[in-house]
Amino acid sequence: MPQLKKILAVVIMVFIPISSFSHDNEKHSLKGMSKADKLDQCVEPTEKMQKHHFEYLYHQRENTVEKGIRTKNHSLANCIDCHVSHDEEGNAIPINDEGQFCQTCHVKTAVNIDCFSCHASIPRDSLSRTKSQVHSRNTHIESTAKNLVEYYNETNYER
Amino acid sequence: MRLIMKDRTHLTRREFIVKSITAISAVYIIPDIISKAEASKPLDAEVSPKTKWAINVDVTKCVDGCTSCVEACVDENGLYGFDRPETDSQWIRKLRIKDIKTDKVTTLPMMCQHCENPPCVDVCPTGASFRREDGIVMVNQHTCIGCRYCMMACPFKARSFVHENLTEQVTSAPRGKGCVESCNLCVNRIDHGSETTACEEACMKEGHNAITFGDLSEPDSRVSIAIKTKSSRRLRADMRLKQRVTYSGF
Ligand code: SF4
Ligand code: SF4
Repeated sequence: MPQLKKILAVVIMVFIPISSFSHDNEKHSLKGMSKADKLDQCVEPTEKMQKHHFEYLYHQRENTVEKGIRTKNHSLANCIDCHVSHDEEGNAIPINDEGQFCQTCHVKTAVNIDCFSCHASIPRDSLSRTKSQVHSRNTHIESTAKNLVEYYNETNYER
Repeated sequence: MRLIMKDRTHLTRREFIVKSITAISAVYIIPDIISKAEASKPLDAEVSPKTKWAINVDVTKCVDGCTSCVEACVDENGLYGFDRPETDSQWIRKLRIKDIKTDKVTTLPMMCQHCENPPCVDVCPTGASFRREDGIVMVNQHTCIGCRYCMMACPFKARSFVHENLTEQVTSAPRGKGCVESCNLCVNRIDHGSETTACEEACMKEGHNAITFGDLSEPDSRVSIAIKTKSSRRLRADMRLKQRVTYSGF
């Protein structure tokens, strides 16, 4: 009987750590293609990213929200941009969908993340930006210039 | 165009040269300066109190019936609602004011006034409602618990509460159920070097030029010039909130 207990203890001790880091040294193979698929390494060594990515994200979120630091390396927007998979037609698949990058590990390790109730789960430009990209650059410059000239005339301001 | 034509009838030679140089530089040089100025704050730099973002609204130029700024804000921040005006988020809205004595109608855009002494920051129990070093008053939605004290405290009704589950958020403006939100002076695009907010850009594109955004600490910025050349005032200045949003032409 003590023998059996020992074996059980060993089994538990060996398997629990393994299952809590589900993808150790193992490549993700997901449906679709992402930019990350073509790269050798993430912004930090893979091992580090697997175990500490949330610490980087927490740190970055304080820096971004409170101090306005917008570096890309540890930003969630950049994670999504790089890791989101695209289907054959080139449409992005939400990164928290079943079988997608964020979801596979978090399901396996039973971690419930709440990022995507607020953050976009695919790269999504704001419509005003998309609209102004459609506007040809020339008309934009022309109208800006016209507005500025009017502005200077009206305010009698000369440089 | 109209203004240039009018001036040309009585231009001296000197004025003509100065004006043409202004016009030429406006077309060819200023856009270059603007794109260079875009790199002003490096992405890895912290915001500092040296920058003082501000808006001036010229109510005499604001056109009754025009809602371009509101639409631009919706598009910029993905504020698509559920067709329920009572609860849908609104970061900027148009107000219509009628003078009882003269019947004169004034319309003006109303958004977060970015107070230097913001009551919403005073009342927030978690510190989620905060004022950034450069003067932007905003909500840290990671720590907001949705108590809505700040909505109650704001004299300008500038804040909205998200009542429903959202999808389709844009990358640059994360937002979700259970949090309060309000105008953040297009913080994402400003941090990435934009010289203009979505509402100002839209107002300019319409040719109305009622909204002027810029950095108060720079004497040459659009908003500094606007404030210097026109008399401007804060709404309910008696409350001494020292808003960064001012109104001209009342
Ligand atoms: S609703 Fe959020 S931001 Fe407003 S006072 Fe409450 S916790 Fe602070
Ligand atoms: S500054 Fe930006 S967030 Fe604020 S009202 Fe204008 S468009 Fe909306």
